[in-house]
Amino acid sequence: MDFTMTDEQKALRSAARELAARHAPERGEGDVPVGPHDHDPKTWTAMAEMGALGLPFAEDVGGFGASPVEVSIVAAELGSAGVQTAYADALVAASLLVSSGSQSGLVEAVTDGSALVLPALTEPQRAWSQTFSSMTASQVGDKWVLSGTKEPVLCVGSATHLVVPAQTNDGLAVFLVETPVVSGARVALVETPATLLLDPSRTPAALAGAVNLGIVTLAGEALGAMDAALSMTVEYLKTRKQFGVPLMKFQTLTQRAADMYVSLELARSTVLFAAMQLADHPDDAAIASRTKVVVGRTGRHIGQEAIQLHGGIGMTAEYSVGHLTARLTAIERTFGDPRQHLAILAGSVRDHAMVDVLS
Amino acid sequence: MERRLSEEDAAFRQQMRDFFTKTFPQDIRDRWHAGGEVGPDDIRASQRILNEAGLAVPHWPTEYGGKDWTTLQRHIYLHEMQTASVPPPLAFNANMVGPVIAAFGSKELKDRFLPATANLDIWWCQGFSEPDAGSDLASLRTTATRDGDEWVVNGQKTWTTLGQHADWIFALVRTNPDAPKKQLGISFLLIDMSTPGVTVRPIQLIDGGHEVNEVFFDNVRVPAAQLVGEVDQGWSYAKFLLGNERVGVAPVGSIKRKLADAKTFAATVRSGDGTLLDDPLLSARIAELECEVMALELTAIRVAGGSTEGKPDPASSILKLRGSELQQDVLELVVDIAGPSGLQWNRYDGTDLESWTRRAAPTYLNFRKASIYGGSNEVQRQVISSGILGLRG
Repeated sequence: MDFTMTDEQKALRSAARELAARHAPERGEGDVPVGPHDHDPKTWTAMAEMGALGLPFAEDVGGFGASPVEVSIVAAELGSAGVQTAYADALVAASLLVSSGSQSGLVEAVTDGSALVLPALTEPQRAWSQTFSSMTASQVGDKWVLSGTKEPVLCVGSATHLVVPAQTNDGLAVFLVETPVVSGARVALVETPATLLLDPSRTPAALAGAVNLGIVTLAGEALGAMDAALSMTVEYLKTRKQFGVPLMKFQTLTQRAADMYVSLELARSTVLFAAMQLADHPDDAAIASRTKVVVGRTGRHIGQEAIQLHGGIGMTAEYSVGHLTARLTAIERTFGDPRQHLAILAGSVRDHAMVDVLS
Repeated sequence: MERRLSEEDAAFRQQMRDFFTKTFPQDIRDRWHAGGEVGPDDIRASQRILNEAGLAVPHWPTEYGGKDWTTLQRHIYLHEMQTASVPPPLAFNANMVGPVIAAFGSKELKDRFLPATANLDIWWCQGFSEPDAGSDLASLRTTATRDGDEWVVNGQKTWTTLGQHADWIFALVRTNPDAPKKQLGISFLLIDMSTPGVTVRPIQLIDGGHEVNEVFFDNVRVPAAQLVGEVDQGWSYAKFLLGNERVGVAPVGSIKRKLADAKTFAATVRSGDGTLLDDPLLSARIAELECEVMALELTAIRVAGGSTEGKPDPASSILKLRGSELQQDVLELVVDIAGPSGLQWNRYDGTDLESWTRRAAPTYLNFRKASIYGGSNEVQRQVISSGILGLRG
């Protein structure tokens, strides 16, 4: 096992770092946007130009033949600079398009950035599930129509297409909806025409693989955000003075910074490993769940402590550390939260004596 | 980045697994696995079997039995040894004094001590802490005064683990009380425990066991040739040693073994109509520990732990810190699984209680030491905050 980046991976990281720096949100005084960002076409075009949008997919299906490892490298740079995009969601949707085997034209448009296809997975007032959808699909003649509501679907206002899991008489299937009519982040479909992408026999595996890719993408982004939150905190402890001395003179603060560092390094190992593991085994649900647990816990720890160790300034919208924490809070609850993933893992503790990472 | 083991490493792992699970004597493994106080005979026997197989001191220089393995191979070796419940080489020999003598000792000291240290023909113990020098180790007061070709040692050491079995002690002694900094006047001395003036007194711990001791030195005469490296330079050797010790105390394989045992135990404890392993809160706790131990193991593989070029790598503090915490968390879990059966510590005839329930609480209590020894976890945080993060307090 080897955790060191190849020269190509390092080059990708530098390119992503430059891109992220160019498109990083401006902070400062005045009315700073908070919370989830809208889709930014300029950032998205730049990501398409560097090849980020097709990275993990094979070349013969329109991708660039890299893997989740490269995706997590790009995502980490976005996370570190606080650049919020629909990267993880778009990769989930693209993965489903690729799995369908019937959408090569659209996959091409997705990777060159001319189409934005997003998955509509979450439902109002319903806990996360990747195996349940109350959206219903029915056949009218040889055409499919969908009815039901998905919400919130972030950035959906900019989407050209949606990928929607919906219930058929034979079980859960995945459909493609073009130019959806939306209101805010709500997708309410009423007998809306749709194209069948994946029938019920192929849906569970395809959804699991797609969500795993989304999980590792967000884990990479979280890693970058945690890296940034810790280094900002350390810098602040060195420069901010109280009682006439820098904050780093107080062990009650530096000991906590050390704990943040330890958490971060364990999460880093986990994310890098998960990316490598999912590159080889895209359907490994256990590593995806373990990553969600480790990164979720760590994001909470580092995000909360970053604000606390900054004090009041960490609460302000003009300073970025709070935005990083907000993003980590969102990431923790996307594609299932640690509790749900722990419940999944708890159900399978009998299946192995030990977790084996070396094979 | 590459997740898969190379063919060479996969073969290496198989070779280690075969040796530890097929060649190594089962009865020693069974006794070690059962836990509790382990006799010195098993530790000695184990180390000699390992040494004969070339597996006692693989991280030493090759001319003294080292193997020149990669960090990953070292991890695989430790992991397979620990998960197979093979008693590891005595840390005082293999991980502490051996590497110090190999790195800083004269050729004469190396030839005299290293082979006997590797084979546990000499059982070493550690003379570092003193009653008034714990985390503030450099304030130690045991003195060594030069008298002709000898050093005369006076003072007291404490927390000397397994000192009751030891033949020799490696001790930090103050050789220059007038040095400008307290770190500067310290030397690293090798002392035969049978020298007149050495007294060992046991300290009983909260688990009832006798594991640590006080060691008293009353005008103990030590040949000058038994001073390692240069006089007054002992502090840097001690830091080198502590860096190695921190890696040794992140026993990922042992933690995994115990966590697997915890599942086996939980499946035998009846609860309602099923067993404790059916309890969703308990199984979630096990699952979470598995996640955390996985993260620790991956980190152990990823960071180049241990001392390099004579200096401790501060990253080894991560392993010490999280390794000790997780070790303690797993042992705490076992006490919880034992439940009311764990309230009884003593062995007696005609019991329906299983031996692991009897040992659960004492073992848990015993391992509260893990976050104190080898540089307390607060000291590790200090090492991380100043050495890695640059927060100078």
